[in-house]
Amino acid sequence: MNNCFCILLSRNLSLPKIMKFDTSGLESTASVFGTAGSELVDGFSAAPAFELPTTTDFDGFQKEAVQMVKPAKGTTTLAFIFKDGVIVAADSRASMGGYISSQSVKKIIEINPYMLGTMAGGAADCQFWHRNLGIKCRLHELTNKRRISVTGASKLLANILFSYRGMGLSVGTMIAGWDETGPGLYYVDSEGGRLKGTRFSVGSGSPYAYGVLDSGYRADMSIEEAAELGRRAIYHATFRDGASGGVASVYYVGPDGWKKLSGDDVSELHYKYYPVVSTEAPEPDRMVEA
Amino acid sequence: MVGKNCFAIASDRRLGVNLQTVATDFQRIFKIHDKLFVGLSGLGSDAQTLYQRLVFRHKLYQLREERDMKPETFASLVSAILYEKRFGPYFCQPVIAGLGNDDKPFICTMDFIGAKELAKDFVVAGSASESLYGACEALFKPDMEPDELSEVVSQALLASVDRDCLSGWGGHIYIVTPDEVREKILKGRMD
Repeated sequence: MNNCFCILLSRNLSLPKIMKFDTSGLESTASVFGTAGSELVDGFSAAPAFELPTTTDFDGFQKEAVQMVKPAKGTTTLAFIFKDGVIVAADSRASMGGYISSQSVKKIIEINPYMLGTMAGGAADCQFWHRNLGIKCRLHELTNKRRISVTGASKLLANILFSYRGMGLSVGTMIAGWDETGPGLYYVDSEGGRLKGTRFSVGSGSPYAYGVLDSGYRADMSIEEAAELGRRAIYHATFRDGASGGVASVYYVGPDGWKKLSGDDVSELHYKYYPVVSTEAPEPDRMVEA
Repeated sequence: MVGKNCFAIASDRRLGVNLQTVATDFQRIFKIHDKLFVGLSGLGSDAQTLYQRLVFRHKLYQLREERDMKPETFASLVSAILYEKRFGPYFCQPVIAGLGNDDKPFICTMDFIGAKELAKDFVVAGSASESLYGACEALFKPDMEPDELSEVVSQALLASVDRDCLSGWGGHIYIVTPDEVREKILKGRMD
């Protein structure tokens, strides 16, 4: 209550201009504290006062700054919960700009025998922090004599990533596992975001994977059907997205831990789903002479 | 790539916008006349427009001279057309291949403002061009027969585009000898 009262009062004062743009529309308290009337701010810890850069185009500058720190996540990974557990699937291509540096990268990282993490963004970042998370989970098991929950593990990772926010880490990962409460799936990223959900896809190929995943999803699928859905979604993403490709791996996480179900080369999947019919060669779009 | 009294010209089939693939049957190699082919890599719309311009100029030439253009002449024509747009260029790298007098193979490539680069063995263009240089250099032999040439060109093309995110999704190859033109669609990785 006190807060609101003070803010209302302070707005009526003519403030010395510590900011370089009009703050009347904002409800942030940052602009109020500082050099305004001292009797009003006694007892409040000052909110962090931001110094803003002197540019003509503030929004453009902000966008540029964000883009600089955000390397593109060229990959496709997905995970979804269904009645029997969690399916986790990913492609295996690593690209450096336009060059394909590897077609056989392991993007599904085994944190411990009942938890998996996916890799999207910086490979080194993901590998290191997942391993680090594995260590912390094991320590938790030893100190508390029980396994850590997926909720707890994802929270540990999210807090670590939040503390490195803005330093250029690029991690877009999903933590999938099975604990006492059943299947669990969390999305955690290097901006510090952590979301609980039933269906996620991360990476540059994720829009394509979402299309297939969302239209084919049913909660009551069998394990084989769910695996096939994951495989198909990854295949379609590798077809459309230039930065995804290689091998589509599918893992299943159940009550007894994770199990790798398949690792199919997406090229072979293409010719399996769309076999070449041996008639005359398909007519490409011919340039028609006007 | 040049063989013994023949040549092969090949391209991938992808049309994309940055990382998204829009089509997998895009035609990039065009016939000017039976012994002259041009491949245009780069911006899709510029490739099509440039092709239409070149066909138009060639038809005029045919009407005036009552014969087909020699590949060397055609290369000079392409170079001039590209340089005309020096300060607002077509974003295309052409690869020209043809059989000249006495069915001697002629190949050349250009940058997007028309700098001709003649070669006796092979020429490459596109986003995977560095890979292609390596693959062609490794696999090329002088005086190959058409069958061996088509095999070499297919292998070089598929190997190179498999290392490039922005190329691939199949291949298209024309093998041209003095008697016939063979067209093949290659089955490649679709990722």
